[in-house]
Amino acid sequence: MNTAAEVMEAEALSDAAAESLWTKGLYKFRRDRVGLWAFAVVLLYVGVALGVWLGFWATGWADLAGEKWEPVSSAHWFGTNIIGQDIFDRAIYSTKTSFEIGLVVAVLATALGGILGAIAGFFSGSWLDELILWLMGVLDSIPFLLFVAAIAYTLQGNPYSMHIAMVVTFWITAGRLVRGEVIKLKEMEYVDAAHALGVPEYTIIFRHILPNTSHILLVQATITFVAAIKSEVILSFLGLGVKDGMSWGLMIAESSQEVLAGFFNNFLSASVLLFGLVMAFNLFSDALQDALDPRTVSD
Amino acid sequence: MAEPLLRVRDLAIEFDTQYGTVRAVDGVSFDVYPEETVGLVGESGCGKTVTGLSLLGLIPKPPGRIAAGSIEFGGRDLATASEEELRKIRGSEISMIFQEPMTALNPVFTIGNQMADVLARHKGLTNSQARTEAIEMLARVGIPSPARRVDEYPHQLSGGQRQRVMIAMALSCNPKLLIADEPTTALDVTTQAQVLEQINKLQEEFRMAVILITHDLGVVAETCQRAMVMYCGKVAEQAPIAELFAQPRHPYTAGLLSSIPRIREDRPEHLPIIAGRVPDLLHLPAGCRFAARCERALDRCQTEQPELGEQTASAACFNPVPL
Amino acid sequence: MELFSYSLRKLATGVPLVIGVTLVSFLLMVYFGPDKTFELVGKNPTQEQIDEVRAQLGYDQPMVVRYAGYLREIVTFDFGSSDSTGEPISSILARTVPISLAVALPGFVLGNVLGVLLGLLAAFYRGAWPDKLIMGSAAIGMSISFLIVIIGFQILLSSSSGLNLFPVRGWSMDSFGEYVSYVTVPTLATVFVALGYNTRFYRSVIVEETTRDHVRTARAFGVPSLQLYCKLILKNCLIPIITRIMFSIPFVVISGSLLIESYFGIPGIGKITYDAIITGDQPILKAVVALTAIMLVLVQLLTDIMYRWVDPRVSLK
Repeated sequence: MNTAAEVMEAEALSDAAAESLWTKGLYKFRRDRVGLWAFAVVLLYVGVALGVWLGFWATGWADLAGEKWEPVSSAHWFGTNIIGQDIFDRAIYSTKTSFEIGLVVAVLATALGGILGAIAGFFSGSWLDELILWLMGVLDSIPFLLFVAAIAYTLQGNPYSMHIAMVVTFWITAGRLVRGEVIKLKEMEYVDAAHALGVPEYTIIFRHILPNTSHILLVQATITFVAAIKSEVILSFLGLGVKDGMSWGLMIAESSQEVLAGFFNNFLSASVLLFGLVMAFNLFSDALQDALDPRTVSD
Repeated sequence: MAEPLLRVRDLAIEFDTQYGTVRAVDGVSFDVYPEETVGLVGESGCGKTVTGLSLLGLIPKPPGRIAAGSIEFGGRDLATASEEELRKIRGSEISMIFQEPMTALNPVFTIGNQMADVLARHKGLTNSQARTEAIEMLARVGIPSPARRVDEYPHQLSGGQRQRVMIAMALSCNPKLLIADEPTTALDVTTQAQVLEQINKLQEEFRMAVILITHDLGVVAETCQRAMVMYCGKVAEQAPIAELFAQPRHPYTAGLLSSIPRIREDRPEHLPIIAGRVPDLLHLPAGCRFAARCERALDRCQTEQPELGEQTASAACFNPVPL
Repeated sequence: MELFSYSLRKLATGVPLVIGVTLVSFLLMVYFGPDKTFELVGKNPTQEQIDEVRAQLGYDQPMVVRYAGYLREIVTFDFGSSDSTGEPISSILARTVPISLAVALPGFVLGNVLGVLLGLLAAFYRGAWPDKLIMGSAAIGMSISFLIVIIGFQILLSSSSGLNLFPVRGWSMDSFGEYVSYVTVPTLATVFVALGYNTRFYRSVIVEETTRDHVRTARAFGVPSLQLYCKLILKNCLIPIITRIMFSIPFVVISGSLLIESYFGIPGIGKITYDAIITGDQPILKAVVALTAIMLVLVQLLTDIMYRWVDPRVSLK
């Protein structure tokens, strides 16, 4: 294997295999009813979040729009909270917050995991691999809530300390998966061919091998998205999360007192909306995995 | 002519795939007589393994099923028997051994444990009785120091030894029929010969019938008295061994035999092959499935499907190779 | 003897992990963390007083020395006293860890036992309605935030708007009856949340195993389904099952308990940790981090030993 033509042919074959993975995946996904519905729901949420971001609606979430604890009415679709703010607006606004956090964390964590995982896998067994594995072990072992708090301390209340803590914790699973896959992939012939041609190692890793893990990365990104949103709820509730703005976690935190007095609107609105997004995204993630992973034993 | 031990008639097996329902076996009929070794030969995908599995009802039920036909054995139709009835037969009256000895045994239980389980269930033996018999069986299949081996785990044995253990397990309850699915394919040549010899010897000792499923004509020649050649889900030809090799009737069989590399005086220019490919099970031709690749094909072959005769030597062909 | 030397070697490989975890935590919390000088010093401090306090806190020493001090604390298991209450940490730990275990244990055991059972059922009926029902419920369980479950259960079971069967918060183990009444709602919440994830995982492990050759062999020899799944298949799944259970222990006891204990007002290690985070009580946080790291190393060792016990192919080397 030492002509450029042979390398290109081997690459073309692997590209074709990858392409057929995506086209087969699309075909399978289109026949997955549950997955399609879930995707539709996710798109609905995306639309809502975009609308908030662009200022189309829910801009008055912080306004004192009504009386304390108003019930559901045409003026206030979900009623008002303890100081008279419109719950519906707040719940809708929180959608944007969730997407912000989810997307940022999912993209950065997956990218970080992909890069470090690929490097570790390619140089597996070497000191670099050991170092990255050690790093993964350490970061995995620190209790998450403690870690967020610690980062918050260190960064002296930087509003992005939560995001940073999440990215630094969530990249690990992606990293491990990619590392495992790269270890398998680097035994493939086109890698030998590229080596023999003198292609620099980093090019091999990032242009030839890593793209072949993209289906794993995509699925993992969706899982990370959900993890980020769910974590935000708990963090905001504990006061370690979102500081300015509104999020479902903050709404639930607010509502925990209200609930004991018998007023459930605030709690229910946030919970139901959160559940809707998480459930839809989980189902979407499942469908994606079934469609893309050639070996999953799903049903 | 004795009564057949096993009678398969018009067996059809289907699988549901994402591209549609596929008939892996389509109208297969054959008999197996007591104490004979019959070969079921064919290339990968011809349906021979599926046929073997269906005899014991081992086709995975969600995607697969027996769509038609009957499997008469011991006065019952196995094709319609309940799971309960089949379980009583598996390992006791009919046993099956498989291709991959390395993974066929449960890795976390000892050999003795696995063998004793079969013995206890089908012969009602106690643990110590079962253990003694297990050791005896291991000795009979030629495993050295069986008393020590019986407490070992599968990973402590070689591939050939594991296959012998499988054979020992399969024979421990004295079945009337042994189905061996490619028992030697995964082994090296020397071990292959040993295991085949073992099967032959035991077949005589235990006086059982054997269905030997394989793609290797050499193996068939060594061990079988009769053979059936399968192609694309149907039986193409059946004959006693000597006749099959000396005078193949079906063009496919003839093609297979002539493509075996042999040491000859007159070296041919090219190794003969059968041109073309096996038809896709989703897009089967109307007539004979071999017609597209057959040098002897007639017009009739494109539209009608030939049937196998009932004689001991017959081919499903409208234009068989002249004798 | 072989076991002992293996254990020592394994523990030794855990040292880099402990160092890593404690170093990262130390850097974040203590070295880069808030300057505590001004809390301890009175009003209008003189430079002298400031310097004195700084020396007391060790701020004038290089990082390595201060970190070494932390390591010494870990080895001697003497973390000093809480900044907020002054209680010695060892006594805090002795008091709170047993409570956390008592709270977490029932939910942990139930969550996993039920998870394996449901996973077995789902795998056995793979593709049929029991499987879909179990997996569907698991998907729903996974999608409800732990927080919402806790609050929800509290409303439903403990509050006056709901069934009012259990106390809203608090803790007492004075009698078994009291223990049950205080531990039930937290346990139900934990099981509800964990069950979804556990069942899915266990089902997939078991289903994967059913595709193996030895299962086909067992069927070919007439092994009945109950024995096939509960003995032959399950034993082969023990390695991933044990791995999952063991490695979740440190987190269940420490992180998982944080939310439950603070919400239900249960004085365990989780609540102490949460309070410490809010008040910035460093000695407690340092102790908790060290404890987690040590537990992880111990868990790794125990898990390896259990592998050997469960799978004859694994050797202690």
